[in-house]
Amino acid sequence: MAASGKLMSVTRDWRERDVRVVLVALVIAVATVATIALFAGQLQRTLVSSASSFLAADRQLEAENGLPIPPEWLDEAEARGLETGQMVEFSTMVFGEGGFQLVSVKAVSDEYPLRGDIETQSGNQAPRDTVDRGPGPGEVWVNPRLLRLLELNIGDTLEVGNLELDITRLLIREPDGGFRLSSLAPRVMMHVDDVAGTGVVQEGSRVEYVYLFAGAEPMLEDYYHWLQPQLAPSHEWEGVQDGETFSRSLQRAERFLLLGGSLAVLLAAVAVAVASRQYALSQRDTVALLKTLGLSSRGIGGLYLRRLSLWGVVGILGGLAVALPLFWLLVSLLSDVLERPVDLYLDPAAVMPALLTAVVSLFAFAYPPIRRLRSVPAMRVLRAQPGESGREVIPDMVLAVLAVFGLVWMYAGEFTLVVALLGGLALLLVVLAMLGWGMVAVLRRVQGGGNAWRLALVGLYRHRRSSMAQMAVFAMTLMLAATLVLVRSSLLDDWQAQLPENAPNHFLINIAPDAVDDVEGFWHRQGAPLEALYPMVRGRLTELNGEPVKEVVSKDERIGALNRELNLTWMGSLPEDNQIVSGQWFGQGQTEGVSVEAELAAKLGLKLGDRLTFTIGASRVTEPVTSIRTVQWDSMKPNFYMAFPPGGGLADMPATWITSFFLGPDQKLALNDFSRAFPTVSVLEIDHIIDRIQQIVRQVTQAIEAILALILAAALVVMAAVVSATLRDRQREGALLRTLGGRQSLLVRSTMLEFALLGFVAGALGVVAAEGAVYALQAGMFEGEFRWHWQVVLPVPVIAGVLLAILGRWQLQPVLSVSPMLLLRRLE
Amino acid sequence: MNQMTDLRKTDNRPMLRVSDLTHRVSLETDTLTILQGVSLEINRGESVAIVGRSGSGKTTLLGLLAGLDTPSEGTVELDGSVISTLSEDERAKLRARRVGFVFQSFQLLPALSALENVMLPLELAGMESPQQRARELLERVGLGERLNHTPRQLSGGEQQRVAIARAFASDPVVMFADEPTGNLDNRTGQAVSDLLMELNREQGTTLVMVTHDEHLAARCGRQLHIEAGLLTEPETAGEPEI
Repeated sequence: MAASGKLMSVTRDWRERDVRVVLVALVIAVATVATIALFAGQLQRTLVSSASSFLAADRQLEAENGLPIPPEWLDEAEARGLETGQMVEFSTMVFGEGGFQLVSVKAVSDEYPLRGDIETQSGNQAPRDTVDRGPGPGEVWVNPRLLRLLELNIGDTLEVGNLELDITRLLIREPDGGFRLSSLAPRVMMHVDDVAGTGVVQEGSRVEYVYLFAGAEPMLEDYYHWLQPQLAPSHEWEGVQDGETFSRSLQRAERFLLLGGSLAVLLAAVAVAVASRQYALSQRDTVALLKTLGLSSRGIGGLYLRRLSLWGVVGILGGLAVALPLFWLLVSLLSDVLERPVDLYLDPAAVMPALLTAVVSLFAFAYPPIRRLRSVPAMRVLRAQPGESGREVIPDMVLAVLAVFGLVWMYAGEFTLVVALLGGLALLLVVLAMLGWGMVAVLRRVQGGGNAWRLALVGLYRHRRSSMAQMAVFAMTLMLAATLVLVRSSLLDDWQAQLPENAPNHFLINIAPDAVDDVEGFWHRQGAPLEALYPMVRGRLTELNGEPVKEVVSKDERIGALNRELNLTWMGSLPEDNQIVSGQWFGQGQTEGVSVEAELAAKLGLKLGDRLTFTIGASRVTEPVTSIRTVQWDSMKPNFYMAFPPGGGLADMPATWITSFFLGPDQKLALNDFSRAFPTVSVLEIDHIIDRIQQIVRQVTQAIEAILALILAAALVVMAAVVSATLRDRQREGALLRTLGGRQSLLVRSTMLEFALLGFVAGALGVVAAEGAVYALQAGMFEGEFRWHWQVVLPVPVIAGVLLAILGRWQLQPVLSVSPMLLLRRLE
Repeated sequence: MNQMTDLRKTDNRPMLRVSDLTHRVSLETDTLTILQGVSLEINRGESVAIVGRSGSGKTTLLGLLAGLDTPSEGTVELDGSVISTLSEDERAKLRARRVGFVFQSFQLLPALSALENVMLPLELAGMESPQQRARELLERVGLGERLNHTPRQLSGGEQQRVAIARAFASDPVVMFADEPTGNLDNRTGQAVSDLLMELNREQGTTLVMVTHDEHLAARCGRQLHIEAGLLTEPETAGEPEI
């Protein structure tokens, strides 16, 4: 119909304040949700590719049997479009001017590394640089410590077996410098084609072939599907997700983003609901007039439905117009943190939740009050009609709750999250209702007067309906924002606790029992005291309840722990970060039993009382399982699958000791003295791994901060929208007060006080509800421990009070700057 | 009665026929009777003023006559249709084609310009190019220069003139006016009522006006008094003052 067309014009709608609020709320909703979804996708990819560099590939296939894999396997991978690469790792003696040294050699193919890069130096004093391929044939790159030990320089040659190789670079960091106790000796990197020429690798030598694969995830999955049936137990297929160290951090970051997105959805819903209800109320007169002029109920319904759709289109386009540059900004921020360019990854599917949010917000929150416009009586043009009763709103509320539930669920896919957030909100509303009832009872007694406090309290009472509605929205908004702040802090604290500034970054392995005291003394003097020392005995688990373990455990279970020697230890007390899940830790003086790590126990199907037989050298030890415990593998401290009691099964076995400690970058030279003084002790440097993890944590933190800022901005807009919802009434009242002789300063002070009170109470309620939600989230999603966050709980009500006082002052501005007469006329 | 030879006046049926109209509203505690057994007939081309004090039921009567509301009892027949039995949408359709309104508080849509406000009923009636007619009407009411002003930019008198232009836009057979000068000062009120009367005559519309302004009422051909929901017609209805 032409009339509807005429009535539907965004520019004309834009002249109406309530429409502006609905549109702004929609734009923010779409922008926030889209930005978060896009950025979460980008972050996930970036993090996976960062983490992939820990493998130097997306997947690794390790052959622990000392034999290369059949060449068809690589051909097949290449045929499927995957990138491949190869490494051969072995230990050997190398010779230089200063003598000989046991080194750990990694021979790499031209493609190495498929992911990440290698950090090198062209000389001791030269700046560090990163390169994306290893040494060429005839070259060798060596660890700086080896150079010092052998008194060699860049340009000298190094004898590896029968081959003389040119030392062309110092090897500072390999992307896959994994944390393996087998790689004890200094590292030497050479080209894989030179391996045969060295003559070191013979049949039966202890050598590990590692194959690298990179490509799109589905291709990798397909390839593994093809490969899996052909793998022998000695073949191990490794992906990033298996790397214990990062998966937990990644998961948490992802969950945080999901939480952020869900909050954005909720905030958007609240904003759209508030603004459109206000809009619907303001449209009642118009609808009555249109009906008087002859528009049918259906016509009215259609008119507003088309209007909503139009807003939806504008909101979505506007939101995307904001989201895309913002996303681009966040990604460039990410590139800065990573100090390398990040490929922009724009996933169209990531925009879907934003579109859905806009559509659902409009139809579940904006449409119901607008739909009810159809029943506005035409008679309203002649005389005010009774307003709508609360009862009509109840079906809307049910629809709204279901919609929010559905949206958050779709967005987060986490039941705990949905329940925690909505439970928190429901609790908040109950408390609010009780508080509102109490407030009305108390405020009724306050008498008016010329004092700003009294006017403020009287104002709260007189506007009790809108005051309570505003308080509900403020409290919800603040709760959502505070939840995010709290989760962020505890997430960061947790990461910090997991990897503190001076987390142990060096391991000492193979310390002879009689050297323990001297080693401890050496590092104590260097100002780098050792963490706990553990004895270590290498042994193999061979029997389970008297049966050979390989027969008991099905062949399908590829259990790395059974294929290689295990590090066994004994300890008197349970390490702080271990937790007993069943059985009991060794009692005082107890010498019987073994404590098994929980995951291994589960894979082997072990239960308390099962008898495990270990073969250690020529001896055999049999002990019952007395406890099962979890181990914090990412603690960067020595961890053990099997622990015996002191004086127990391992008492007479040949043990060496292991420990870890923190060594700052400026102390690294002490390692040379140490190696000279204790030549048999191996040093494992993992400082670069720790740096890398901390770098990942930093970049995730940055992203989290950016998203937090976005959400807080959204929250602010919601509050502004709500404050402005009563703008007209407030302004009319202010103008009247001024007309009746109220002083400006009194008006300003009482209004600001009224809003400050509203904000303070809403802030207090919101932050307490947030603590409740965080408690539930902590328990269910983030696996942290709950505690009160006074540093957030205390300031939030104050900040909310101040913020709202400012917003109140702002909406009063027109009343103060214009003559009351003009204003009253304008508000007619 | 004026001498116009409009076709719409050749029909002999009355424009409005009301019989036994009673209207009650339910309050929280009891029921209030606003109109009681009102019967009347208004002929085509007549101008009728309904006069009464505040709360006498005159606005309710106007609403029922115009089909904005339905009575508790009795029937209202407008231009041959018994509107008291029509559905809300059927009444809306009838209003769109045959009824015009002028309100005390003007009731212009604030987001629309004067021209757009006048075009609105034409568009609702499905007119192809309403702009020309709306422009002519606004020129007729003396606002040819203010077509693109929004209501906020117009004075009260100007707003009411826009409202009058809008009311006559769809060429109604009957015009309902609710205190059309109630929000205006005497002089502006006089000018606005002059305009209303003139247009009414030109268009040959039947005019039903609610007012408590005796002077304005005296300009109508017939006056009906309403008090406490009961309608009385003075014996001597003089010739209208113009």
